[in-house]
Amino acid sequence: MTSSALTTYVVFLYLACWFGYLLVCTATPPQSAARRAMLGMLVIVWGLSTAAIGLRWIESYQMGIGRAPLSNLYESLIFFSWSIALALIIVRLRYRVDSVILIGLPLVLVTMGYTFFLDREIKPLIPALQSNWLVIHVVTCFLGYAGFTVSFIAALLYLVVKAFDAHGKYLPTPELLDEITYRAVLVGYPLLTVGIITGAAWADYAWGSYWSWDPKETWSLITWMVYSAFLHARLARDWKGHRTAVLSLVGFAAVLFTYFGVNYLPGLHSYF
Amino acid sequence: MTGSKSADIGDRNQDSIFSEVTSIFTSVRTTIVVLCVLAVASIFGTIIPQNVDLDQFRRVASPFYYRLVVILDLHNVYRSWWFILLLLLLTGNLLGCLLQRLPRIPGEWKGVGKKGTIRFTLSDARPKDQVRAILAPVLGKLMGSSPSVVEDAKSTILIWVRHRVFLLAFPLIHAAIIAILLGGVVGLFYGVRGNIVIEEGEAGQDFVRYPSGDADTLPFSIAVDKFTLKRYPTGQPKEYRSDVRLLKNGEQVAEGSILVNQPLTYEGISLYQANYQLIGVKLVTLRVVDEQGKTAELVVRPPESARLPGTDYTIGIHSVDPGSTTRGPGADLNVVKTGEAPKRASVFRDDSAALQLDGVKITFGNYEPLYTTGLQIGYDPGTNIVWFGCGLLVIGFCLTLFTNLRSVTASLTSEAGKTTIVISGRSRRNRAEFRETIENEVRGSLEKS
Repeated sequence: MTSSALTTYVVFLYLACWFGYLLVCTATPPQSAARRAMLGMLVIVWGLSTAAIGLRWIESYQMGIGRAPLSNLYESLIFFSWSIALALIIVRLRYRVDSVILIGLPLVLVTMGYTFFLDREIKPLIPALQSNWLVIHVVTCFLGYAGFTVSFIAALLYLVVKAFDAHGKYLPTPELLDEITYRAVLVGYPLLTVGIITGAAWADYAWGSYWSWDPKETWSLITWMVYSAFLHARLARDWKGHRTAVLSLVGFAAVLFTYFGVNYLPGLHSYF
Repeated sequence: MTGSKSADIGDRNQDSIFSEVTSIFTSVRTTIVVLCVLAVASIFGTIIPQNVDLDQFRRVASPFYYRLVVILDLHNVYRSWWFILLLLLLTGNLLGCLLQRLPRIPGEWKGVGKKGTIRFTLSDARPKDQVRAILAPVLGKLMGSSPSVVEDAKSTILIWVRHRVFLLAFPLIHAAIIAILLGGVVGLFYGVRGNIVIEEGEAGQDFVRYPSGDADTLPFSIAVDKFTLKRYPTGQPKEYRSDVRLLKNGEQVAEGSILVNQPLTYEGISLYQANYQLIGVKLVTLRVVDEQGKTAELVVRPPESARLPGTDYTIGIHSVDPGSTTRGPGADLNVVKTGEAPKRASVFRDDSAALQLDGVKITFGNYEPLYTTGLQIGYDPGTNIVWFGCGLLVIGFCLTLFTNLRSVTASLTSEAGKTTIVISGRSRRNRAEFRETIENEVRGSLEKS
């Protein structure tokens, strides 16, 4: 089987997982055996998506190109969806909340679904991307983005739970959601920082300038500043609940613009 | 990080302008506001076109907008006076918070600085030393260390601190950001960036500075021996390479190849492969078949012409087509017969109809392109300061992520034949769980023995 076919199967299996979750979350109580089984299935599907990425890597070597599958929009979207799914599984294991997966899986699906409209061919790297910095830069950035995605999901749920006073059987307590919103940023923020630093190091090595205010650089810095404000508000000024949730939404909007919006502005990162 | 609160509560009567200013610089509220303003300002820089020609801009923009752009440097946001002022304010604020926080760290290092978030009191009928003998091993095991002890006639205080190295995270992270900003300032004042374009086979020393556009001269000259462009079978570029020698006073001091992602550095000045341009050809090889069917090669090196052997013709190169038609690469030739007016003729590599001159058939063989290479020049003494800051930042983040600062204080006081036990503690994570463990262990051990 080719990695491309495996990726397609993974998308439909994620979709099946989501329907499964919808079913068990409405029909069975928390910590039921059915919910645990669904988690097991999700982990297996995530394992398959890992295999698909590995397979694409191997295929690139078989084609004599030999490079990590992290170098165009298609590959970055696949890796982003992989990172979000990983983050969702970690949150489920740590905080035992299924609703985060229920809201998060559609994001994984949309991310992967987007790749259906893109060119899947494995192409050799242009000179600018031939660097070992590529892997570490892309991996840290997207793992950071995944952390922010989880924070966004928890913040969204928090606002919904608060607005409709809806926690109880189906939704977790606002306190827990608030905690997840914060903890996810606490993990995503250092990763984004390292992503920016490795990007700067690479830029210095390739172009002789660690910072050139290219739109993607600038927007990653804007994202970084929003989450810096988030952490300072939380840690030093005791912001909680509604206000940090809104900041998390703003931060995630900045993440999305850094990833997608910047492509409509000219710059050095036009291959992503 | 709790700067502003203590500053706000401070005695207002004695407030001078000085302490007002101080409170701005030590307030986390300032940090948050400056970060948000910087974020919004940065957005402007990505939307408004940067580094545009002001004269051209004046003609297309309305007078008001033009004046706004000029006053606020909106065409150069990141180097504008107000953006740099914001960065200075951020630096001052970081420094203020750092200086305010530093003096408290030694106390917390010893475990006496901050009040515990966990606190409970017990009473025990046994004497103080016996209680200590019971509690010390239990709490010691929990904290994974031996306590520091403060003792006087009536009371004994045992203090355990775990992962105290976490306390360094705050100063490290904030000093790191200051270092990075400082490195940026050094680069702004002492750094040089520029671009130099050199033709293959030539040497160059004069370059154009970026972004000012001023002319400048390198302390050495760059001789470009060869520029190579390699392509993948798909036609995508695979490699740009400039083979260069660096010369100082006519003597070679360094040599090497400059590729994208592989700069050449000499005396702190780095040279990067930036771009290239095809400006002509070094030579063209024509395939020549004479009347006997013998094949030979004729090499033409523009701007010189070459004589076609055995004829009265000389052939010069007018232009080269690298392969825009299905007939492969080809050239337009200037064909001159002695005593006649020059003619123009085209030859291609994959053309069945060759050019015929006095029975000699000519087709296009090959060509060697002549390039200029564009090298970027970078010299920035601030870079190492920036990397130093980045290093501190990463260490600081590792400390926040992989440590869990915990402290427990057991204060034992003898009173009227009894011992009063006050346990207090702090934990950065899993506070409830930590509290439960401490309480269970302390009460359990006292009841058991």
